[in-house]
Amino acid sequence: MLELETLTVRYGKHLAVDGVSLTVAPGEVVVVLGANGAGKSSMLKAVAGMVPTAQGAVRLHSLTLSGMPAHKLANAGIALVPEGRGLVDRMTVEENLRLGATPPRARGSEAETMAQVFDIFPRLAERRGQIVRTMSGGEQQMVAVGRAMMSKPDFLLLDEPSLGLAPIVVGDLFKALARVRDTGVGLLIVEQNVRISLRHADRGYLLEAGRITGAGTAGELMTDDAVQNAFLGGTA
Amino acid sequence: MLEHVVNGLVLGGTYALVAMGLTIQYGIARIMNLSFGDTIIAACFGTYVLFSTLQINPILALAVVVPLGYAASLLIYRVIMKPLVDRAPSDGALEVDSILVTFGLLFAIQGVLLIFFGGGYTSYSFLNTPVNVLGTAVAGNRLLALGLSLVIAAVLVLVLYRSRWGMMLRAVALAPQSAPLFGIDTDRAARTAFAIGGALAATGGVVVSMFQTFTATGGVVFTMKALIVVILGGKGSVPGAIVAGLLLGLVETFVAAYVDPGLTLAAVYTVFLVLLLVRPNGLFGKA
Repeated sequence: MLELETLTVRYGKHLAVDGVSLTVAPGEVVVVLGANGAGKSSMLKAVAGMVPTAQGAVRLHSLTLSGMPAHKLANAGIALVPEGRGLVDRMTVEENLRLGATPPRARGSEAETMAQVFDIFPRLAERRGQIVRTMSGGEQQMVAVGRAMMSKPDFLLLDEPSLGLAPIVVGDLFKALARVRDTGVGLLIVEQNVRISLRHADRGYLLEAGRITGAGTAGELMTDDAVQNAFLGGTA
Repeated sequence: MLEHVVNGLVLGGTYALVAMGLTIQYGIARIMNLSFGDTIIAACFGTYVLFSTLQINPILALAVVVPLGYAASLLIYRVIMKPLVDRAPSDGALEVDSILVTFGLLFAIQGVLLIFFGGGYTSYSFLNTPVNVLGTAVAGNRLLALGLSLVIAAVLVLVLYRSRWGMMLRAVALAPQSAPLFGIDTDRAARTAFAIGGALAATGGVVVSMFQTFTATGGVVFTMKALIVVILGGKGSVPGAIVAGLLLGLVETFVAAYVDPGLTLAAVYTVFLVLLLVRPNGLFGKA
């Protein structure tokens, strides 16, 4: 279980995340919906150790993670696919995947995990020698997810994976993410793309101005008035 | 003609050797080390002392001087650089801070060398026997220097591009923000890179001292040359440093031989300017 307990992130005086509490179970897909500037990215970055936590705690299987540096969190079982994908885009697909297996917990099973990644994303097997920056946005996002899988995470965090991708590509990506979930990994996804992310999620939260303002199962949120008004233009 | 090619390669090989160290420190640790040349000079004197007092030949001296360069650089990083790294709000700020602090360090190292060795030119004679290379006589120590430079360059390129460890160091150089997400300890990578740079400077010092005279205040010249090679090759690129170093050595030697020895520096800067106009990021630089 991944638990965020009154997680707070501050940039100077600006409160980006204001006491967020939520949970993700293994093999569960949880989506956090929010507009630009709601604090979605800051929340994920704090969990992954990329920005400091001002207050509150993050726990993984009751081990307290907050305060650990990012590279140690990767070994504790947290993988973040950040906005902008976080790849070494001047290296090849294979190099990025191999680098993904840097945490000691993932070293021993590098070859198996890579086979698993290639099974979910056959495209990457074809393109293993290609320099990442020469690939399409959708393919780069596959590399980013593949790289995160290489660290054998317990929980995979994704920051707006659909951003800048064509709808059909987004659909394929979420189908691939469902297969990642089937391996027992818990997924915490922040998104603005409400329809597709709720379609593939088990549960969801609404984040506004750094606070959780609503929660429910994906089905409930799909028909929730607040979600309808805020994101889906009031039509159902 | 051939003589100049060999001499140019010898000179260029040492340029490449020392520039590799500087480019690794800059590319991975993000520290522009202006005391780099003085580290080289310190290693020259270290080799000289070992050779003249203990009769240890420079090849064996490598086994002493190079680990010492690594250890000293590691200490300098921990004591002087790490506080700067921790407080720097951005890579740009770290660059400026590191330039200032290593500028001070330059004089500290130089001062210590001046106290112990004075300001005069120093040299020793090792393997100063002519060797016949394709019909031209070349000093044995120069050939050895070239051989050492090439072997070290080859080993470094192999490690960086063929090992997992090298791949991690390159990832830190190419994507410092993303590297921690891969589980890479960027602090440790920076520290190691700075120390490897120091070890390469020490190696350069040992190699240079075999065939050149040196003086306690001569470090600046090495720093300048290494800096030019680093920028020509593309910041942070080891293959770039090797190619640019050899190119610079050849240009200097040929201009000295066929034009005027007094114009070597002018020629170097001309090549530097023209290349930067055509390729602002250097030969192997990233856009």
